[in-house]
Amino acid sequence: MRASTAAAIIIIGLPLVLVLTIMVFGLPVLESLRLMMQGAFGDQFGWSRTAVKTTPLLLTGLGMVVAWRAGVYNIGGEGQFVMGALVGAWFAKVAAGLSGPLLLSGILISCIIGGAAWAWIAGWLYAKRGVQVVISTILLNFISVQVLSWAVSGPLQESKHQLLLTDMLPDGAMLPKLSRQMDVNLGSIIALVAAGALFVYLFRSSGGFLLRLSGANPRVARANRINAQRAQLVAMALSGALCGLAGGIEYTGIAGQLGLGFAQGWGFLGIPVALLGVLHPIATVASALYFGALFAGSENLARFSASGTTIVYVIQAMAVLGYVGLNAWAQRIPVQVEAD
Amino acid sequence: MLVAHNVSKRYGKLWALRDVSATFRAGEIHAVLGENGAGKSTLMGVLSGFVSPSEGRVTLDGAIVPTGKPFACKQLGIEMVHQHFTLVSAFTVAENFALARMDKSLTRLDVNKLAEPAVKIAARLGWQIDPSIGVQNLAVGAQQRVEILKSLAGNARVLVFDEPTAVLAPDEVLDLFRVLRQLKEEGRIVILIAHKLREVMAVADRVTVLRKGIFVASAEIGHVDAEQLATWMVGDMPISPDRHDQRETVGQGLSVRNLSVFGDRGDIAVNQVSFDVNQGEILGIGGVDGNGQIELAEALVGVRVGSQGETLWRGKPFASNLGIGYVPQDRQMDGLATSLSIQDNALISGYKKVQLRNGPFLRIKRIKKWCEGLIQRFAIQAPGPATLVSSLSGGNQQKVVVSRILDEVPSLLVVMSPTRGLDIKATEFVHERIREAKSSGCAVIVISTDLDELAELADRTLFMSSGRLTEASDALSLVGGTA
Repeated sequence: MRASTAAAIIIIGLPLVLVLTIMVFGLPVLESLRLMMQGAFGDQFGWSRTAVKTTPLLLTGLGMVVAWRAGVYNIGGEGQFVMGALVGAWFAKVAAGLSGPLLLSGILISCIIGGAAWAWIAGWLYAKRGVQVVISTILLNFISVQVLSWAVSGPLQESKHQLLLTDMLPDGAMLPKLSRQMDVNLGSIIALVAAGALFVYLFRSSGGFLLRLSGANPRVARANRINAQRAQLVAMALSGALCGLAGGIEYTGIAGQLGLGFAQGWGFLGIPVALLGVLHPIATVASALYFGALFAGSENLARFSASGTTIVYVIQAMAVLGYVGLNAWAQRIPVQVEAD
Repeated sequence: MLVAHNVSKRYGKLWALRDVSATFRAGEIHAVLGENGAGKSTLMGVLSGFVSPSEGRVTLDGAIVPTGKPFACKQLGIEMVHQHFTLVSAFTVAENFALARMDKSLTRLDVNKLAEPAVKIAARLGWQIDPSIGVQNLAVGAQQRVEILKSLAGNARVLVFDEPTAVLAPDEVLDLFRVLRQLKEEGRIVILIAHKLREVMAVADRVTVLRKGIFVASAEIGHVDAEQLATWMVGDMPISPDRHDQRETVGQGLSVRNLSVFGDRGDIAVNQVSFDVNQGEILGIGGVDGNGQIELAEALVGVRVGSQGETLWRGKPFASNLGIGYVPQDRQMDGLATSLSIQDNALISGYKKVQLRNGPFLRIKRIKKWCEGLIQRFAIQAPGPATLVSSLSGGNQQKVVVSRILDEVPSLLVVMSPTRGLDIKATEFVHERIREAKSSGCAVIVISTDLDELAELADRTLFMSSGRLTEASDALSLVGGTA
């Protein structure tokens, strides 16, 4: 399927899926759409909500783009998201004496390293031991949630040892916000910059080229003495770094502390976002924005109807299934006959 | 009596079989002999119903065989024993037997009852096989027996064996021959595809030779000798024109001394080979596929680890900046990333070029221009650098590979089957580029199963057989007759 055809199908198909889903839920279509638009873009608060939802979707989506482009199917965005934030929280605890901006930068860098290291485990297992990334990353997700629950009830628990939460970050170590009334913060800009940087890396640098080549056909890489395994390891680490950064921005931008509820599935949601962004960093911005707006809009819809954000999950699932189906159809292989 | 009447099969522009007729009699082992690509497997496919012929028909005792319908053919008693086994490895032997004899109804399945005929035949043939054992636990030879028994259980009248000895050890081959003879005595039609002369001479009663899809000859085995068969198989040996006088040897190039290379399974794929290729010289390496050619090529270009011996360039170990070009045998698998653009595929050998990059970054405009240049110079028919390689024809795909490798002529060039599947024009084009590389001082190794190609290109030719290189260019060594 050519990129332009795919884009056209997605752009026409997504609203169609949205309308169909609303109809299946038995809601009035026009009124629902109006409520959702209002919730997502109706006023500055709507825009803020959309941006806040878009940011983690974009970063975890980019994480999936870089891994999947290299042919390593990272399903562990959630674990990398959580572990990144955890390493950040650990840094916040041990370096509590640092001044605000320094502490904030340290936390974010720790989050990036934590996510990268967590993903690197799966990459290493794949490169050295042939363990399928899909399997190992799913399992690492479970482990990360357990580590989170251990950390917030043990070493990272808040000072009074009463709640299953970490200490609240000092205000100075939080990402700067546009205004007090809104949640939108510097994290959204960081995510956009990351998208631009990933585009440059993938399509304008030799490292990114080797990564894409290794994903497209590792045997060609081998025949040209290019180390595909190394490229795939790098891709896994980058993927984990982006997911860890997503966790860090959620931590320092919105939550301020970690608890059991911190794992909200952003890492998983990154997969459909990346798929509908045709594994392209810039298209993934649009894809993340679409789903971010859907989340923000459906929250508004939920105030007037019983079906809340579930509608978004249904839409996502339908959109992804539709996309995968289309891809399978476009890539259907004609029966090949070998001559002798 | 199974008869093929004027059977032809074409795939696109390629004739896999052209007007082939042959008669296979009951109580006879009939070998079909030919090189890679001679059309043996296609003919067998037609006879057993797996391939639908473009023209011609097949009759069994006068009745027309429903060609192209494997299940209908099976019902008539025509069975094929495939080269790549068609067993379910997670099933037991009995379950595999039952699977082949299952009817379509969804009634309760009595595996043992369905497997019984095959088990009885095993006893008759003197084979001890435990039906309750899992197929995955059987050695290859035993798996083949299961495959054969599966076919015999339906009371096959015609048995087609596709290179059955390829996977067997020598004593297993003898046992297989014993069984083939027994099947013949029982009055069945036994057809054997082979390219090893020695084995054909040992077991067959009659032999038919194909070459490039065309019927060459058919004879009783007593009336021909191995030499005659070899000549039929490879045609008149193309004699390399003696280019010694016109050769401009620029100087010493590649020297290989006692090189052994390990295969994927740790076996010795290349066994103690030594040869030289001067700069400005083309060395041809011929021989049947799978005799160590890929391993040799990969070891020379540094793709394969695990080798012993010396490879020297001008008497010294390879310098890290020595320009080495490699055109792999399988362009779809090893030569190209077909889901990427022409530009990305060209970049495989371009990303290191200083003029195309700026530190870690790529100069995308210059790369595009460079790629447009390649498209023009190598006459690649494509709208532009962004065209996906998957949308190109085979010839143009190969040109992409060649353009990338010969953009700057390397010091050492190793090409494998560079024109497989290409039409005449594209073949000539690729040959011309290889000759150009030679005349600008490149040491070239052309590895090919196509003797015409070697005659066309090579200054001298060695032949590879079972991992060894021989000077002997007589037809016999080529087809494994004296091995």
